[in-house]
Amino acid sequence: MARGDDEFVEFARSASGRLMRAAFLMTGNHHQSEDAVQTVLVRVYASWSRIRNSDSYGYARTVLFNHLADRWRRPIREYASAEVPERQQRGDLAAQVSDRRWLLTLLGRLTTRERAIVVLRYYFDLSEAQVADELRLSPGTVKSTSSRALEKLRAGVAAARIPAIDEESR
Amino acid sequence: MTELDALRKAMQASDPQLVPDLDLPAIMAEGRRLRIRRRLSYGGAGAASVAVAAVAAMVLAHPTAGPPAPPPEPAGTGSAVVSAIPWPGETPISKPIGAVVHTGLRDGTGERVYFFTAIDEPGLPEVKIGLNTGRLSDTGKLFADYVTNDVKGSDRSPGFHQIGYDPSGTPPDASSIPTYGYFVGPAHRIEGVVKKGKTVAANIASWSERTDVKIFWFDPASLPPGQRLEGIHAYDITGKEL
Repeated sequence: MARGDDEFVEFARSASGRLMRAAFLMTGNHHQSEDAVQTVLVRVYASWSRIRNSDSYGYARTVLFNHLADRWRRPIREYASAEVPERQQRGDLAAQVSDRRWLLTLLGRLTTRERAIVVLRYYFDLSEAQVADELRLSPGTVKSTSSRALEKLRAGVAAARIPAIDEESR
Repeated sequence: MTELDALRKAMQASDPQLVPDLDLPAIMAEGRRLRIRRRLSYGGAGAASVAVAAVAAMVLAHPTAGPPAPPPEPAGTGSAVVSAIPWPGETPISKPIGAVVHTGLRDGTGERVYFFTAIDEPGLPEVKIGLNTGRLSDTGKLFADYVTNDVKGSDRSPGFHQIGYDPSGTPPDASSIPTYGYFVGPAHRIEGVVKKGKTVAANIASWSERTDVKIFWFDPASLPPGQRLEGIHAYDITGKEL
């Protein structure tokens, strides 16, 4: 049975915040993230009748990362590794802003592919196998890229004089 | 808390500023238009209404399948712009340059074909052709789906040029575009590298206007459309890598 507009509206409202957050972690840019989410929802709606209910979110996530990942599939480039700011420990608005800046600066040290893998692994909590499947990469590529990304993050954390990242993902 | 936990927590923290301002009616309207374009492109409903007059005069070339093969290296496709042509009714295609290459792949509305068309970009003096993928209907009408072209250097320089991937970003289905491209040189066999170093042989056909321009494409059953290659190789008739 075809799925209706009401279901899509409900899905879009419930999923858009998380998709937006993921897009922001990937791009670091609010407007680009919003544009990406709109593009994804257009594509999801175009295919809505043939997406199974339980797969809607996964489908949207795949479309989002394919859309954003086009950047790495053309010229692959490294991001400039800026100085990583120290992280505030207070729980106020200034600390939130500091946390966001800290996070984006750390992620900004990664290539787009590394960043995508880190976001899928640690924001969406996907396994390496799931990440490989979503990004259409080999599990070995995901594992080695993830490891390299964590090394860079670790170096960034060290630069900000914060205790090291452990090897949980290895 | 480890720093990895801190990273995860920071990534997952809510942020009131990161709530998209959605215009759902506009999104759904655009989604409907996209759905209609796909149906027109792949369902055949509008296929008969858009003809390309030049097709009747075209000489048709038949591809030769490349045999299986050995190891690879990273793809050297360089940078390029990939521009989508959603539907010929919206963006009329120009005349094909040379013969249309048949693939034998059919999707119910016609046969998947490849052909070159002219590119005219003032900033790209040495790029005069782009490789299209489209469909040739049973009634002999040609439809373009997608074109790739180089954005630097010369379009006839030796080696691989831009590779075209299915642009939809959606999981592959019967309407997806098989991965394709062209190589300049005496290639007899072309292989793509996929997961775990596995290689996939491409189908190859010589371009009618210059036989050292080899058009290739990967069978969707061997390489799912949209899946990126990790490398690509060309070999001459003796098996020597080019």
